[in-house]
Amino acid sequence: METIERRTFVRGAAVGALAFTVGGVETLLLPSEARAQKVPLKVLTADEARRLETIGEALVPGAREAGIAHFVDQQCSVPPHEALLSIRIANVRPPFVNFYRAALNEIDRQCNARHAKPFAGLSADEQRTFIATMRVGKHPDWKGPPAQQAVYGHLRSNAVDVVYGTMEGAERLGVPYMALVAPTARW
Amino acid sequence: MATQEKVDVAIVGAGPSGSIFADVLARAGKKVVILEFGPDWDYTKFVSSEIWSKRLKHAPRFQLAGKNNPGHGSNAGWGTGGAMIHFFANWPRLHPDDFRVKSKYGKGLDWPISYDELSPYYDRIAEDVGISGDAAAERRWYPIAKDYPMPPLKTFRNGSIFLDAFKAHGIPLAPMPVAINSTEYKGRPACTNCGWCHAGCAIGAHGTPLVSHLRDARQRGAEVRPFSYVTRVLTNASGDRVTGVEYYDGKREQHVQPAATVVLAAFSVEIPRILLNSATDKHPKGLSNRNGLVGKYLMCHSNAGVWALFDEDVQNHMGTAANQFMSYEHYDNKRRSKNGFGSIFLRTGSALKPNVGIAGSRPDLFGQPLAEYMKRAVRGLTRVSFSGEQMPIPENRVELSGDKDEFGMPIPRVIHGYDQDAIGSWQQGREDAYAIVRAAKPREVWGAGAPGTSHLLGGTIMGTDASNSVTNSYGQTHELANLYLAGGGLFPTEGAVNPTNTLMAVSLRGAEHMAKNFGAIAS
Repeated sequence: METIERRTFVRGAAVGALAFTVGGVETLLLPSEARAQKVPLKVLTADEARRLETIGEALVPGAREAGIAHFVDQQCSVPPHEALLSIRIANVRPPFVNFYRAALNEIDRQCNARHAKPFAGLSADEQRTFIATMRVGKHPDWKGPPAQQAVYGHLRSNAVDVVYGTMEGAERLGVPYMALVAPTARW
Repeated sequence: MATQEKVDVAIVGAGPSGSIFADVLARAGKKVVILEFGPDWDYTKFVSSEIWSKRLKHAPRFQLAGKNNPGHGSNAGWGTGGAMIHFFANWPRLHPDDFRVKSKYGKGLDWPISYDELSPYYDRIAEDVGISGDAAAERRWYPIAKDYPMPPLKTFRNGSIFLDAFKAHGIPLAPMPVAINSTEYKGRPACTNCGWCHAGCAIGAHGTPLVSHLRDARQRGAEVRPFSYVTRVLTNASGDRVTGVEYYDGKREQHVQPAATVVLAAFSVEIPRILLNSATDKHPKGLSNRNGLVGKYLMCHSNAGVWALFDEDVQNHMGTAANQFMSYEHYDNKRRSKNGFGSIFLRTGSALKPNVGIAGSRPDLFGQPLAEYMKRAVRGLTRVSFSGEQMPIPENRVELSGDKDEFGMPIPRVIHGYDQDAIGSWQQGREDAYAIVRAAKPREVWGAGAPGTSHLLGGTIMGTDASNSVTNSYGQTHELANLYLAGGGLFPTEGAVNPTNTLMAVSLRGAEHMAKNFGAIAS
């Protein structure tokens, strides 16, 4: 059996880097770098980005800092057939931002109806309970589309991608990434 | 609308089947054009990432109905190479009994050809693509005339950890034959066991059409036109010959591509869609559809896995997306399950990457429990997988909906559900896999609660004549001699195994039939 030392990593290559526009120049950044550099959003509003970060963080710890909002925003801005979002291959019709807007609005509508405050205003326990109910499709008056299980699945997928789907994410887990090709240019 | 220069063969779809037709017909000296809906990929630029790999997959815009919606986006490809650019490269073949299900059991359908007739094509495809495996180990279950070109791939602890458990249950294993190089083969390097097969192999160790049939077809003059969206097959005034296809290019300009023959190799939903959308006064129900069978008998495999989390580091970051081991034990007894009918195919040992493979293994987890699980699972997670067979029933089908896409083409409605035969068979597979996994004594065991939907097959099945099928055994439609269909849509039954090997063998047989009879069938 072949063995590989687990602490051997290919460093520096930014698998997961996407094309962001900074100062009028297209540059490759990780979503986390785009967030840290406050790269302007293209499609989402600042409020939508904050709400997406809040539920993303509740779904996968680290998603906010990993740049879930910038990831989704950038991917909603590219031609739909090029998007790297899970909804692209899940029979969701573009424009994809509509999925996120409808999802975020319905989440907050649900929370306001039950708790008189949006998802971001819930306690950690309340957020967990809300998500657990959404996961199994048991919010009784959910108004879709999208369906609540689809919202759970796709937002979780986006959050997992930015937290664990990059080379940095693999390094945090202590697992060799073993890339054959890391992106150095936009596809 | 622009009319292109007439060609001998217009092929719709640059996946494995279309690529074989292109290669064979180009070798025969024919002028070949391949119209591919997606981009023309350069495999050396495939990025090792489950984020980026989503771009290699089809983005369906279907209406879905029925109890078990097929996972089309994960099964189909987008661009040259088709689904093979992101497939796992498992390369099993159908069992001889799979070709005579109706005759043997009184259920399902029979193929119009036998295993023995297809067997030489399996062997030739293995040489073309480059297959690693151990034919001798498989001969306990079915005959294989030729050994595979390469020895099996390396194995890893994520597979070998179950070997004793399989043995304890009396289930012999063989190395999974895979379309991945275990050694250098035809100028392509050996696999590095990086585990990124499903994101596209950037070194060409993965035996996709980009490094085999499509590459060879191009070298012989076949032209590939990417971003070409075919909407109709055109027929002559008398309705007895096809004359070409109609398509939109990447700039949304409409073209007619005249052709002496047409091959539809665009997967199990799009082929019926195009045939149904090509209706004329001579073919009011769509092409080759007088019997109403176009779109019928859609099938999926009820894939699932039983997961095992060990304390031991099973090195699940290494190996291939393909499995290391497989078993056809009990496969030839389709009545084995208590409440179902169909074969079960067991396999184990594959690489897992964090965001889809590992996080996807516990879709119920979120928040801190997910974070804690990820740390454990990147070291100790593996599984035993299985797939179950579904019998062909006409209620599972593709039809045209009333909605239209941006090109005015009706959006397909895909109706699919498992009947009790399929559910019972899947439950048997789950029971088998659970027993094996538990015997290996992992810390945690869990399995999928419902059958998956992999490998969309059927929809334009082959048969003996127009009373029972859309095409003959070569994929030639019964109603239009110069229209061929290719791919898994031709399967009358699906067995329980990954279909790519069989659909390529069938395509090779069909392509050579077309080449041999070209003078008689061309318009």
